[in-house]
Amino acid sequence: MDYPLIVDVFFVLLAILAVVSGWRVFATDSMVRASFFLLVSFIAVGVIMILLAAEYLGVAMFFMMAVEMMVMAIFMVMFMMNPAGLNPMMMVHQHKFSIAAGAVSFLVLAAVALLAEFPDNPLSADIDPVRSLGNELLGDSMLIFESAGIVLLTTMIGVVVLSSHNGRYGAAEEGSMPPGLVPGGDPAGMPEEEDEGGGHHHCH
Amino acid sequence: MAVSWLQRLAARASVPVFPVRGMHGEEVLYRLALTPGVELVDSPRHASILLVAGGVPPDQYGALRRVHDQLPAPFATLWYRSQPLDELASATRIDDPDVLSGALKAMHHELMCGKRGSSPRLLPDEPPNPWEGLGDDGHGGEGMMGGVPYGRPMAMNMHDDIRDGLTLDSLTVTLGPFLPMLPPGLSVEVTLQGDLIQTWTTRDPPYPIALESVFFQALQGPVPIAELERAMARYHLKHLYFALRLAGLEALALTALRLAFESHSNPKRVATLRRRLVRSGFFGLTTTGQGRLDEETARRVGGVAARAAGLEEDWRSEDEGYRQLGFRPLTQRQGDTGARWRQTLAEVEQSLQLAAQAEQDATHTRHSDGVETPRGTWHRQWPEDQSTLLDDLLPGLEWDEALSTLASLDLVPLSPWSLEEASGAPVAQAIAEERRA
Amino acid sequence: MIFNELILPVLLVTVVLVVGAYLVAVIDEVIAGALGRPSGAGAWMAPLAQGAWLLNQQANATEAPDWRAWRLAPALYLALAAIGLAVVPFSPTLIATDLVTSVVLWGSVEALATVVIFLHGWSANTLLALIGAYRYVALGLSYILISMFVLIGVALPAESLQFSQVVASQEELWNVIRQPLGLPLFLIVGLGMTFWGPLNLADSRDLAGGTASAVSGPPRLVWNLARAAMLVAFSGAAASAFLGGWLGPWLPGPVWMLLKMLAVLAVLLLIGRLMPRVQPERCVTLMWVVFLPLSFVDLIWAGVEALW
Repeated sequence: MDYPLIVDVFFVLLAILAVVSGWRVFATDSMVRASFFLLVSFIAVGVIMILLAAEYLGVAMFFMMAVEMMVMAIFMVMFMMNPAGLNPMMMVHQHKFSIAAGAVSFLVLAAVALLAEFPDNPLSADIDPVRSLGNELLGDSMLIFESAGIVLLTTMIGVVVLSSHNGRYGAAEEGSMPPGLVPGGDPAGMPEEEDEGGGHHHCH
Repeated sequence: MAVSWLQRLAARASVPVFPVRGMHGEEVLYRLALTPGVELVDSPRHASILLVAGGVPPDQYGALRRVHDQLPAPFATLWYRSQPLDELASATRIDDPDVLSGALKAMHHELMCGKRGSSPRLLPDEPPNPWEGLGDDGHGGEGMMGGVPYGRPMAMNMHDDIRDGLTLDSLTVTLGPFLPMLPPGLSVEVTLQGDLIQTWTTRDPPYPIALESVFFQALQGPVPIAELERAMARYHLKHLYFALRLAGLEALALTALRLAFESHSNPKRVATLRRRLVRSGFFGLTTTGQGRLDEETARRVGGVAARAAGLEEDWRSEDEGYRQLGFRPLTQRQGDTGARWRQTLAEVEQSLQLAAQAEQDATHTRHSDGVETPRGTWHRQWPEDQSTLLDDLLPGLEWDEALSTLASLDLVPLSPWSLEEASGAPVAQAIAEERRA
Repeated sequence: MIFNELILPVLLVTVVLVVGAYLVAVIDEVIAGALGRPSGAGAWMAPLAQGAWLLNQQANATEAPDWRAWRLAPALYLALAAIGLAVVPFSPTLIATDLVTSVVLWGSVEALATVVIFLHGWSANTLLALIGAYRYVALGLSYILISMFVLIGVALPAESLQFSQVVASQEELWNVIRQPLGLPLFLIVGLGMTFWGPLNLADSRDLAGGTASAVSGPPRLVWNLARAAMLVAFSGAAASAFLGGWLGPWLPGPVWMLLKMLAVLAVLLLIGRLMPRVQPERCVTLMWVVFLPLSFVDLIWAGVEALW
């Protein structure tokens, strides 16, 4: 062991933080809180990765998860804005199935951690983690993958730009209704007046 | 208690004042905006003194109490030409605008040094609606839906969306009558999806605004055109100040306000102001063609809004005095927010030019059966409150667009009192009743 | 060893942040005074007096806020500013943390700032603060992509994701000349990150202060401090990425660095006072239709230049 004790201390603290905030995701009563508890959990894991000398992966984890959780939270709140997600609500569904799935995946991962044989070939300390990770992942195909990545992203942004003034059913400025299911029929997907209260339960 | 160095330092800060704009209280706030050491803030949370400027109708005392209780301790209240609430009978009342800023500074100093206690809370510290938790998840509904905990309905009461078919959840709130971004006295019920306005329902109309006495004299007999036109320019520049401040252009807003306070502004300086506005991106970045009025609405609003929509409605063209000066009404075509501001700036420049010209020849108005006020033509009937047209105009706009549209539209009713005599005028309710009668 | 690895970095970051934030307030005050705002206490005194006033004021409550998030958000924003400044190199040796992935870490600071600012507005549970929070997310998602491309652009000639290498790669020619589109685009990112001036969509006047509209007393002081500190951290990143960091003749490296940071700050604060707030819809359109394509051009330019 050639690392200081403080690394162990931090590992334990961060692991506890990751597990506790992961548990809070399911115990909290609001969507925004749940997504940001998940973010805290991921950040703790990211710091553990940095401790394990996987610097790039750890930092990339912060970056990706921050944006991802933000988008998730904003979309959830947008669809259920009222009142700012601060009214308590039940955040858990399908209890029995989730408990079973959780237990099984925990057992599988724990078995992997305990039973698998991990390779043991120490690397020299002066190796550049970013460069070696890139070579490991992409190797000779680096240029192709990078170009493809940029092209894909450009395409996505192009699509956003082209469609930004069009809603799903027409131009943004004009207001719009979804088309009918039969030609000239009533707009599809609109809630019926007398249907209030029915068919809206998807919890329990 | 000894006064600590921190308190002494705090006493030197510029005084953060939250103004409650009552009836006929505007004028003194313009003066405070130009006073060093006084800062007018937009949120009661950011203030140490609540300045109630002008009278508040008794039916809005509830709202006034709620604003009062939002100020964080230590804070004090100051009543300018306004009757303090009964609970605050010992609060300071000042009627002289010249001593106001000094009083504000002294009050802040005393508050910080502990020589003056904080104003007492007027309302109980409890939620406005009871917690009505019931059911599986404690919010009174079933599953994830329904229920009204603390009076706020839960999600799922979706309105049909008016813009892109994406039915998001909506939130209904009541704003005003003291929200600093709205005209004084205006109170509305707004339904929002995100920051998109779905419905806008005017609850209380804005308070009437007092014009300078020269407009009243013009209905009695001939008055010097120079005086009339300078008063017109002053009114528009003050209006412009409000909008520029709202748009985040504080420096240019103060320039406009200083121009309004100068007795003999040069029209060239207005042209400079317009060039600086164009260069700063005011027209390009903050207005994007919203708030367009159709011809009929524009005619109803009158004044700048009508001329910005291309209507040549101007009483001044009827008057021979003006015709002698070569007056021709200016117009714009688009009729949107940007056009109204271009029109306002052009008219201010025109007014100052006319004033300079009229001064040389000592030209007077000839007709006295009508007058062109900054709010529109006052002939047979005076310009009325038009705030209900916002109910149709603003839905579909985003919050920022709605507020810049609102700032560019002058919809307030005119007060039967002139600016000079407004200090003794009764508050809005009395005026409203009088008008009804 | 403890001194070099723990005390010195913490000291460096704290001093630069606190002094920098104070200077931001002073410079802003001076600019506002020069542009015609009636000045009260004098530029050097005004920020201190305002801070003292906020310390004397009570921290208020709203109806049922998310207390933990509401109180934590200003502190977290300040912490993000400190993390951002920690990877900024002041000389080849004077760096608080010389992470090999410091450019990516700066990117994550930008992304996490969006989360923290959203939380600040959301947790107050009041309407105007909530609108500010929403608007900020729309702005944040737009500027993060621009920032990413611009930063990849400066990492290309350095062949490294480390700020110190990025500075070292500018020995011959500063990136501000080598990639002329980079700095203007990055300044837009800076205004967005600190929601300053024309991009102040979160705490704007039309929302009575937006996410900060319901905050008073010490939490508001921390929030204001954190915004100014983030501006300082950003100026450090901009100076390292485009203005050659510590490089320069005659003067010692750290002095050059501080001068360049001050220059970036002055430009940002001047823009903040001279331009109106951009309308949110116009802002998002500009970001996606104009600035994002420009950042692609910047990246291609940087790539071609690096292969040359």
